[in-house]
Amino acid sequence: MGYVSLSMSRPVPSSDTTETHTRFTVASAAINTFLDYLCIHTKLEYVALVSFSSTFEVAVPFTRDFDTIRSKLPLLEEGDKTCIDIALAGVNQLILSEWGNQTPAQIILVTDGTCGVGPIGRNRIIQALPLPASYPVKIHVLPVVSPHETCLQQAMPLYQKIVDMASSAPNLANGTTSRGSIYCPDQLTVPGIVAAMTRLCEQQYQEFWCTLKCGQLEARVQLFPAPQTVINEGLGTTYTLSNQIQVIGFLQQQELGTPIAISKHLVIPQAQVGGNTSTRENYGSKTPTKEGSSTDSSATEEDMSDPSKIPNFCVLLHGALKVEGMAAIVQLGAEWWGALTAWCEASRARRSCLLLSAMRPGAKAAPWLGPLDQLGPPDEANAANPETFPVRSWRSYSGGGSGGAGGGGAGCAWARPHALLADVQKVLRHARKLPDKTQHLYKELNRLRRAAISLGFSELLTCVGSALERERASLPASASPECALQLAHAAAALRDPRTALDIKHTLTPLPANFAVTSMTH
Amino acid sequence: MFPTNHKTIFVLDHTPYFGISSDYPIDFDVTKSRGPGYVPLPPVCKSLWTCSVEAAVEYCRIVWDLFPEGKLVRFVVSDSAAHILNTWAVSQQNLTHILNGLCLVGPVRPGAGGDVVGLCAAIESMGEPSPSQVTQVPTDRQNKNRGRIICITSARDNDSIRSLAEIALNTLVQQNKKASLAQPVASTDSTSNPQPLVVHYCHLVIINVTPEKLDSRVSDQPLTEMGGGLMGVEVRVSRASALANLLGRLVLPHYALATTTVTGIPMKEEQNASSSANYDVEIIHSADAHAGLRASQTVAEAAGSVVLRWWTPRGAEGGASGCSGPLWRVTPADVASRPSACLVNFLLNGRSVTLEVPRKGGGRSASHVLAAQGGELWIGALGGRMQYDDPPALSEGAGGRVTDYRIKEFGALMQQNRLHPLRGAGSNTRARSRLQRHTTYWPLTISSTLIFNLGAVVEPLTRLVVQESLSDEEVDQCRAVLLSLLGMESRHEFPATQLPTNMRGKSSGRREEQWRQVWSELEALVRAHAQSPAHRTLLRVLLECRAHNNHGNDGESRATVIRATTDSPLSPVGAGNGTAAAAAGDVWAPRSVLDALLGPPRPLRRPDFAGRMTAGNRVATLYPHLQQDVEAQH
Repeated sequence: MGYVSLSMSRPVPSSDTTETHTRFTVASAAINTFLDYLCIHTKLEYVALVSFSSTFEVAVPFTRDFDTIRSKLPLLEEGDKTCIDIALAGVNQLILSEWGNQTPAQIILVTDGTCGVGPIGRNRIIQALPLPASYPVKIHVLPVVSPHETCLQQAMPLYQKIVDMASSAPNLANGTTSRGSIYCPDQLTVPGIVAAMTRLCEQQYQEFWCTLKCGQLEARVQLFPAPQTVINEGLGTTYTLSNQIQVIGFLQQQELGTPIAISKHLVIPQAQVGGNTSTRENYGSKTPTKEGSSTDSSATEEDMSDPSKIPNFCVLLHGALKVEGMAAIVQLGAEWWGALTAWCEASRARRSCLLLSAMRPGAKAAPWLGPLDQLGPPDEANAANPETFPVRSWRSYSGGGSGGAGGGGAGCAWARPHALLADVQKVLRHARKLPDKTQHLYKELNRLRRAAISLGFSELLTCVGSALERERASLPASASPECALQLAHAAAALRDPRTALDIKHTLTPLPANFAVTSMTH
Repeated sequence: MFPTNHKTIFVLDHTPYFGISSDYPIDFDVTKSRGPGYVPLPPVCKSLWTCSVEAAVEYCRIVWDLFPEGKLVRFVVSDSAAHILNTWAVSQQNLTHILNGLCLVGPVRPGAGGDVVGLCAAIESMGEPSPSQVTQVPTDRQNKNRGRIICITSARDNDSIRSLAEIALNTLVQQNKKASLAQPVASTDSTSNPQPLVVHYCHLVIINVTPEKLDSRVSDQPLTEMGGGLMGVEVRVSRASALANLLGRLVLPHYALATTTVTGIPMKEEQNASSSANYDVEIIHSADAHAGLRASQTVAEAAGSVVLRWWTPRGAEGGASGCSGPLWRVTPADVASRPSACLVNFLLNGRSVTLEVPRKGGGRSASHVLAAQGGELWIGALGGRMQYDDPPALSEGAGGRVTDYRIKEFGALMQQNRLHPLRGAGSNTRARSRLQRHTTYWPLTISSTLIFNLGAVVEPLTRLVVQESLSDEEVDQCRAVLLSLLGMESRHEFPATQLPTNMRGKSSGRREEQWRQVWSELEALVRAHAQSPAHRTLLRVLLECRAHNNHGNDGESRATVIRATTDSPLSPVGAGNGTAAAAAGDVWAPRSVLDALLGPPRPLRRPDFAGRMTAGNRVATLYPHLQQDVEAQH
């Protein structure tokens, strides 16, 4: 995304007397150069034009129709003074309302080469800047000024600060990208500014081309928006997308789920150039039949000149992914993976495209797939019964089944009284339903014991012992004699520190041979 | 670069004082009494020890739920000696290990001891490198060894606290001296026992715990630097009963976390299934998840829990797929509560929840999604347009007007190349070489191939030939395919039923042409795979068949030979050529032995100049950064 602001209409110092340019017309030339560049290289870019002075105005909201910007340029009205902080605040507002805080943006600040003429000094301006922004952004500065002017020397530290502060955004936990730059013209003329803007475009708006490979099938593709180099400061490593995206294999889309993506890119197939075209289709075209067949050879030649009629692997891949509901896992670089899916914009249900999700670098960007470097074809040996997705993780909230320790950490989350209460009530509920729930009672008691021992909470066990004793005392006369025996047994065990507090000891029900004796008399 | 929260050590005071009661009674007889004669249970009080253990364990639960890796916590229990419950090793970084260790420590016993011995042991542990620190280059200046010690103790007054901090600082300084001296010597022989690291910064949080009614002469003290920035000391005072709450709050800034209260979750009542009430559940996650809300928040709102409303799902939910940005792990703040369990189970069962910002003036705006993946809970932020929206139509781009792609067959290829979670290195490479084999001869469109349109007649061969190796029976199966084709050809038949109508030829001339294409395609296919001895056997069989078939119609065969000799070696070889090679015992295949040894079925072409790759259609610029560097110096 590009975006521009301007605030100047001072005349250009008249070293060049033949033409009468103001800074404003020079700036307009720069912006037209920018738009010309985009038209050729990244037509999908969205651009907005904001003008600022002591206020800001959205001259043209974000659009891909660059001509509206061109036609608006001469109509911009001049304002009073340069207030960069106001400009940036306005841009923040515009970007956040339209793009949210997750879409990376670039700001090109076209200004007059001064710090601005406000009531405040340079340091105060720096403090007033609404930076870092809450969205990922690069800010470039294009001062429309002669390089020798003294005001520029004063302004440069401010510009550098703006560029630096913009890229220290707080929400880039996934890694930061490179920062913006200052582009000064060699001289304050139209060719000078055009050259500076062209440098900016070539460095910051370069389209990204790469080869998408799937085994021996391949297609040349453009990625939009162009992927950025990712820097993981924690590890001190950088990740750059390689020129080849290699498909590793395929997954059902439900299996893939939603990996932790750092960016998403349209994958746009490009016409194959020159000899590169038919390396793949060689076999087909070189078969004797095709060569020998005289039928519609003219039509074939015509087809060959129209890239949309030359088979492209990218289109095939998109179709198959869509039909099968699958995704392709691709390698983007060393220790970096991505996923290709057929993506359909909800509002344009019929326009579908190939979308690359660049995952967070590292093998753990989708833990439910296991380590990404270990995705592979099933072994020939156990091809019949391969391991399946998802690879499950256990957390404190995972509930039962996480092994004997009683639900991981939840087993002793008694910091809040209600949790402790609930566990004790559970024991007492089982105690009231003896003899049916004998096994449950002892299981819960052992769970309770384990937690109490690790917390050093012997008071609890004494208390539960008394509670069981009380249950025994209030048993109805009709109750089976087993109930009283089990309750007494459990209560005694809980109050004896030797059995209650020894983690190696497990409470077991009283051996039930009395049940047999009660049957026999 | 390792952040302070990479390593945390809890020092738990296990001296006799911690055996005293917290004086915060918990009553178990909350339900109404069950008639006369029912003796009420005396309420229970936890000891200070129990309170500090459960608070520390809860802190760990949150950390490890949200950061399964890279955020390490150790426990040191301090009485007459320091009991170190775990190491930095990954296998010991879990609650089960800690709880088992605590079982062995047991309740507070009478005797002497204090918190100092544990604190010193903790500082020593801070010098031990974590597994990821071991793998980092120690000379790297970025590689700072920082950590946090949370010491839960009970001191008489502020002076005792200060002297405790000073002891810690002295220990740290002494230890750093030793570590920096040991460095050059130890680097030679420290393979088994990693050398201690210098601790560059230690954040010491001292929490002074008191029973409910006791006045403490210790007061809260904000973070103060000691030892020239080597140590930052912070003092917190807490009732034992409030300790878990305090640590639950402290964990947020320590790990840059924030909480969200999901409000208005409808839940069925246990007793009365027909009615439902609304509940709130508080969840914890990375503060980054709130980045989008920050602009509209006041300072007070940003500090507290963000309240987001449950948006009752209508029909199928898209899971987290609506999020264009990253996802963050989530854990409930109160894992044991029933509403938390309900929400967690709802998500773990595969549903997802959209959350919205409550608005007074009506109008809804979805802000986040909660969903489970792989048994873990995740939150993602919604909203904003995507840069890639309104994509160009594929049909207008390259290859867009081709209508006969072999989509179904490519679908089958994708199914054959599905990935599975394996163990061990090299899995990716094996998957790629498998794909490589499967695509060796793979026409993109239906009209550019005949053999893949012939259905069951050829299918066994096309299916089997892509395998890495062929058994004898499989070679026989392929031979049978070739022989049956040969038979059909000699009977002047053609298995045309499968072909698209425009490719069905009625005239015999057209048919001959088609047979020629079938054989040359088959040869191209088999040749492309002729790596294993069995594949070469198959190729020999194929060439014999072709020789056979070409003898039948003389005039044609001569033409083929002429064309073959003028073509490149990759193009189909004529009959005479083939039989000669077959007679010599082996056949020519487009690979040398060296290629076969080198592994990939086809030698990679020399990679293109990187500048040209990025330049696209434009002229590539040399040294593009040169100018940039000059700019940067301005």
